[in-house]
Amino acid sequence: MSSSDTRSDPPAGSVPGQDALGQNLSDQGAAAPARPAARQGELALFAPPAAADEMLTPARMINEWVYCPRLAVLEWGRGEWAGNADTAAGRRAHKATETGAAPALPEPDALPDDRTLKTRRLLLASERLGLTAELDVIEADDGRVVPVDIKTGKRPHVAEGAYLPERVQVCVQALLLREAGYTCEEGALWFADSRERVRVELTDELIATALGAASDLRLTVAAGRLPPPLDHSQKCVRCSLLPICLPDEVNWFRKGAIARTPPPAATPALPLYVQTPGARVTKKDFTLVVQVEGEADRAVALDEVSELVLAGPVSLTTPAVHELLRRDVPVAWMSSGFWYLGSTGGQGPRSATVRTAQYALAADEPRRLAFARELVAAKIRNSRTILRRNWRGEDGERGPLLDRLALLADRTARAETAAALLGLEGEAAALYFRALPKLFTDAVAALPAFAFERRNRRPPADPVNACLSLIYAVLTRTFSSAISVAGLDPWKGVYHAERPGRPALALDLIEPFRPVLADSAVLMALNNGELAPDDFVSAAGGCNLKPKARRALIAAYERRLDQETTHPAFGYQVSMRRLIQIQARLFARFVCGEIPRYPHYVPR
Amino acid sequence: MARRSNAEHAYVVAYDISDPKRWRRVFKTMKGYGRWLQLSVFHCRLDGGRRAEMASALEDLIDRDADHVIILDLGPAEDVEFAVESLGKSFQPIERRAVVI
Repeated sequence: MSSSDTRSDPPAGSVPGQDALGQNLSDQGAAAPARPAARQGELALFAPPAAADEMLTPARMINEWVYCPRLAVLEWGRGEWAGNADTAAGRRAHKATETGAAPALPEPDALPDDRTLKTRRLLLASERLGLTAELDVIEADDGRVVPVDIKTGKRPHVAEGAYLPERVQVCVQALLLREAGYTCEEGALWFADSRERVRVELTDELIATALGAASDLRLTVAAGRLPPPLDHSQKCVRCSLLPICLPDEVNWFRKGAIARTPPPAATPALPLYVQTPGARVTKKDFTLVVQVEGEADRAVALDEVSELVLAGPVSLTTPAVHELLRRDVPVAWMSSGFWYLGSTGGQGPRSATVRTAQYALAADEPRRLAFARELVAAKIRNSRTILRRNWRGEDGERGPLLDRLALLADRTARAETAAALLGLEGEAAALYFRALPKLFTDAVAALPAFAFERRNRRPPADPVNACLSLIYAVLTRTFSSAISVAGLDPWKGVYHAERPGRPALALDLIEPFRPVLADSAVLMALNNGELAPDDFVSAAGGCNLKPKARRALIAAYERRLDQETTHPAFGYQVSMRRLIQIQARLFARFVCGEIPRYPHYVPR
Repeated sequence: MARRSNAEHAYVVAYDISDPKRWRRVFKTMKGYGRWLQLSVFHCRLDGGRRAEMASALEDLIDRDADHVIILDLGPAEDVEFAVESLGKSFQPIERRAVVI
């Protein structure tokens, strides 16, 4: 090892055409990183040996790079991860390798030549190659070792016995074994479902591909570059990172191709709200148990909780917090009035790349204003849509009002400053809220308690304002967690100024959703008669919902989130809940400069 | 072979466990995946990933020679109308809805 360190000449100076690299690697004194036999006119340049604090590239990631470069960079360079049925099946297949005898692998010169030896779970690393690998099984026989990688599924019927990514992975494992001084002439893949073993021949070509891929991946990650998504590839369909990568959506901007199906949600879990004062949330077995005095305990499977929302004096035990942190499930802490205080856990990807780009956007005044213009326009258009869809007032009033709002939305494009935008937004909001009572059913309009004149807050003075304030707070929380999961910082806004305690980015992104999600959920709850005048208490100039009414209103909001909508840009049907996750991811793509603009949600 | 789709399916999981200690562990584990329906019977609604995790968790707990677990797939949770006749207490398919307490 040491001799090769001192003698490793820079790979850039390698001689094209040099071959016999397999021998080079098993031979300790040979020159540094093995070079493939380059074709005429092609110079094989590899990344230099790993620096002291540089992370080594895992063999598994080189497999992914060959499968899809973007996948490898998202996972390894950006700290993103998501599981699905295939990854779970893979873990299950791998369990077999964890059990059974695992004797230590003897030193290369101490390998027994008279018997075979089998061991499991070996970690190997080489700074010279910049590679590391976790080997499932190593078989030693007659002084030679064979790395065996366990794969779920069946053996593919292709000439090489297995697909290239898997062969490359085994090849990297073999190279690391050679680097450690072992004689390794072949690798193997074990396909757990069909119980078939495939021999992987270490050809010069395969070794060249493996080292080339390792080098490309390292250089791409070092350059902070994210490769473009695959184009309508069959590989995407079962990829677990589909909801994070958004291949069709990103390609839509590049080529105008239609995104055919919405990406699946990362998990089908849903939020759990606990807002009954005095409630206690504990962990029991694999569930969260909510204890409320005088009521039967409610158990909710931990896997089914996407986020735990605690409002007001509700307690949560430390074991429950630990388990939620372990599962990366965020806990949103809110006041009794649903003022967002902060979150525990749910920190999103293990990387600051997106946040760094977000701060750069926030510092770029022209880009910031361009975004704000489209944002305010989208908000005004959406409030217009809500008025148009739910109008129950006189027909004559409707037309001029809609025209006025359309005009205001168009004017945003010419706003020179954020202050001018604020003026347009305020004017539109005044028009919109003045017209809001025209959307109530006669039964609701007849109730004096539900009279609504203008929007007020801090504290809201009447029941309708109280409902709006509550739902806006809940909407802010929904977005705060969605943008944290996407790697963004909720506290740094683009349109809203930064103020302590204000999740400015969440407030930015919810603007277009206020009318279509929050206001419509309040309208739904009021018009359906889910809220009655005696569900509210007034005190000290403010109005509040009673606990039962809060529960009903939040349930109405969550129902609204489950309703489907057509994405205005991509044209597919998607639930509002997933739409929010997609929009948060797209915003992250936008701040990183991968897509030229953020497509606002403006339904027809 | 285990199903690998990521769409949610409804399942009935029934088990015979010969040892009370293991039975207790299986019961506790199953509470993380579904709703307890009857003695040693759970009703679950799972996507492909959780289904694989459940099978894997059960595999670790049981004694393959003495115990028996069956996982019955009732079909896609959203689309299928369950042909269930329930005598006595009522049977309700699990609906996906946010819990507000």
